[in-house]
Amino acid sequence: MNELKCIINIIGEETTRAIIGLVGVMILVVVNALILTWAERKVAGHMQRRIAAKEVGPFGLIQPIADSLKLLCKELITPQHVERPLFYLAPTLIFLPVLVSFVVIPFDSYLQVKDINVGILVILAFSSLSVLSILIAGWGSNNKYSLIGSVRSVAQNIAYEIPLLLSLLPVIIITQSLSLRDIVEAQKGLWFVVYQPFAFLIFFTASVAETNRTPFDLPEAESELVAGFHTEYSGMRFALFFLAEYTNIFIVSAIATTFFLGGYNGPILPGIVWFLIKTYFLVFVILWMRWTFPRVRFDQLLNLAWKILIPVALANLIVTGGILKL
Amino acid sequence: MVKTIFEDIKNSIKGVEIKEISYAERGYHLAVEANKGNLLNIVGLLDKKGFYIADMCCVDYVEYLEVVYLFNNHHNLCRIKVTLKVDPERPVAPTISHIYKMAHWYEREIHEFFGVYFEGHNKLIYLFLHDGIDFYPLRKQRVPVPAEDMKLLNSFKPREEEDEFFVNLGPQHPSTHGVLRVVVKMNGEYVVSAEPVLGYLHRMHEKMAENRTYQQFLPNPARMDYPGALIFNLAHVAAVEKLCGIEVPERAQYIRTITCELNRVASHLLWIGAFLADLGGLTPFLYAFDDRENILDILEAVTGSRLTYCYFRFGGLYNDVDDNFVSETKKFVKRMRERLVMYEKLITKNVIFINRVKGIGIIKQDMVPKYGCSGPTIRSTGIPFDMRTHEPYAAYDKIDFEIPTGAVGDNMDRYMVRMREMAICLDIVEKAIAKLPSGPINAEKIPKKLKPPKGDLYHAVESTRGETGVYIVSDESDKPYRMRWRVPSFSNLMTFPALAEGSLIADAIATMGSFDLVIPEIDR
Repeated sequence: MNELKCIINIIGEETTRAIIGLVGVMILVVVNALILTWAERKVAGHMQRRIAAKEVGPFGLIQPIADSLKLLCKELITPQHVERPLFYLAPTLIFLPVLVSFVVIPFDSYLQVKDINVGILVILAFSSLSVLSILIAGWGSNNKYSLIGSVRSVAQNIAYEIPLLLSLLPVIIITQSLSLRDIVEAQKGLWFVVYQPFAFLIFFTASVAETNRTPFDLPEAESELVAGFHTEYSGMRFALFFLAEYTNIFIVSAIATTFFLGGYNGPILPGIVWFLIKTYFLVFVILWMRWTFPRVRFDQLLNLAWKILIPVALANLIVTGGILKL
Repeated sequence: MVKTIFEDIKNSIKGVEIKEISYAERGYHLAVEANKGNLLNIVGLLDKKGFYIADMCCVDYVEYLEVVYLFNNHHNLCRIKVTLKVDPERPVAPTISHIYKMAHWYEREIHEFFGVYFEGHNKLIYLFLHDGIDFYPLRKQRVPVPAEDMKLLNSFKPREEEDEFFVNLGPQHPSTHGVLRVVVKMNGEYVVSAEPVLGYLHRMHEKMAENRTYQQFLPNPARMDYPGALIFNLAHVAAVEKLCGIEVPERAQYIRTITCELNRVASHLLWIGAFLADLGGLTPFLYAFDDRENILDILEAVTGSRLTYCYFRFGGLYNDVDDNFVSETKKFVKRMRERLVMYEKLITKNVIFINRVKGIGIIKQDMVPKYGCSGPTIRSTGIPFDMRTHEPYAAYDKIDFEIPTGAVGDNMDRYMVRMREMAICLDIVEKAIAKLPSGPINAEKIPKKLKPPKGDLYHAVESTRGETGVYIVSDESDKPYRMRWRVPSFSNLMTFPALAEGSLIADAIATMGSFDLVIPEIDR
């Protein structure tokens, strides 16, 4: 025990916290991806009147591990015509901002890597970086489908970043803080979803679009673009895109939970359990939507953002500000 | 109708040879013998009278080649066969592709199989055959392809231009359901032009037919249209029966009707799944397969196969149905009605779905005769054209049913027509089962070797995608001299370039999905 304290003293408390936090986040990301691949298969299966994975492990729980082992063992194919540096860079780059976003999410009142007083800005700033790696992937693949997919992705992300931010602003106005922990603490009584139902809906819609999920999965629209920006990727590089997608789903659900559903607040059960229940419920809704809706068209997608979501979010913001001023 | 057209052609075109033909024997009412001079006049006249181009093919009679044009009217049955004799040494014919758009492809097809040149055709390159063939396959004698024509093989080479690029949808692409290739020229997200490239699944069924007896060809039609195999089977069987004058017992006719309608429902279910998958919704696919499985089970019990049926025989059936079939079918009809309500809730009322299909890919009524499209594609425009009532076969004339039609001709109408058609198919099945007579299922005294009398015949049925016609020329041997298949997807697909032009790529794919294309049928 003394030795541990000694080490902490040498490298400093902050650094220790960061190291433990990063290791924890890495584990969480991997475990979450495993759970979500399993959950997606199960949800899809049961919605489509089939049983889904059941052979590997009880209820097919080991299936995601078998899948990831398979992906790890696969040859990383690099097509001849690709722009090599960019092609290699993109899968790595898509994964980094995802990790950073975890740093500021409060899983419980004490369970947070670091409470930064501009927490939400960190998340928004880093999550918009992921579109850059999609663009790099699409450009570097030197494939028409990939390029169209990535260009669509950029247009989509720019369009939906705005309502995403605008829908979070009323909450920030109410709490007068950018720190995620303050926001959760402010919801000890009523959740903000009660005060801000429109903001919640807008945020949820925009975040589904941000994560490129059906009905907004245009960048990888398979009937049009084969697989969109990751057409040329295989093996672990493909798996990294996949991992990033699932982690993104988790992050947007976690932010929605933090901002609107009271975060870790809840009776009886420990905070972390409440947080995970709420987050995974939202994740389930996203999966549910994917297996129910067809895909929207590109112009409809942009029209929804620019003509409906942004004006409504702005009006909501003004009304909230006005009421608070009174 | 037949009389007036007869008079019209006789009066307005001088020196034309026109004959009235026994429809019951030949399947067409008028035979017009045209020559190079008056062909365009005759075709132009038919175009003005609102006739559509049903089919166009060529027959090699060794002394001469005969190009056969078949026209029909959507509202009144009046089938006209126009023939044009061309010299086999130097086969040249005038093009009609500027009058009938669909002839564009038919002429390319005749050119590559018979070597007939069509003067004035703006793009006479190969349609199905791409390379590796140096003779005309459907000619009775081996005629080598001239050197300058060899260049036309594999001659489709799109060239990129500034600000525009080409995307190959297919032959391996998730949206084309098979090996269709569509070369799409795009400007950003918009389609500038689309050009289908066929022949990736070309197996030359028409040549196969010439090399086998009528019985030996029985399994082949099912391989052309795998989702609606029974109806193609029926097209072949019914055409040969008509040619030989075989009477089919009533019970067999009813069973043919019931099984064909079940097959139609199965085919439409497959289409729903594929169409929604094109639009990005994957779940309906599995729902539809669940229902389809029931039909396949029912049909498997009587036909012995699940997909490529070969159930009908000349003069009857392979197998009689039993009480189990009847009760299972009744059970299925009941279940399917409830499921249709569920599809309505899941798909038809979905806002995203409605926005994706409404007002997209509109086929106008005046386009239809030029392309000769049929099936739900034409019914969606509001023309109640259905071979089952237009020219009843099997037991369809003894059963009352309505023909669903659309109004606009967009993707939504095509979807609605198919959905309503499924409900009507169930009605037909129910009524036919209620009326199902007892008796023999096979005609007596069918010779082992069928040798139909000399002559030709056109017989059409309504397959799930539209008018499926068989044109048989018999020379009194046990093998057909020429067997031509008129397939609906071929002419439905021809409308695609016109509809896709200027639309978004996502809409173009939705439109292509709404045609319910079956590639083996197009390529034959």
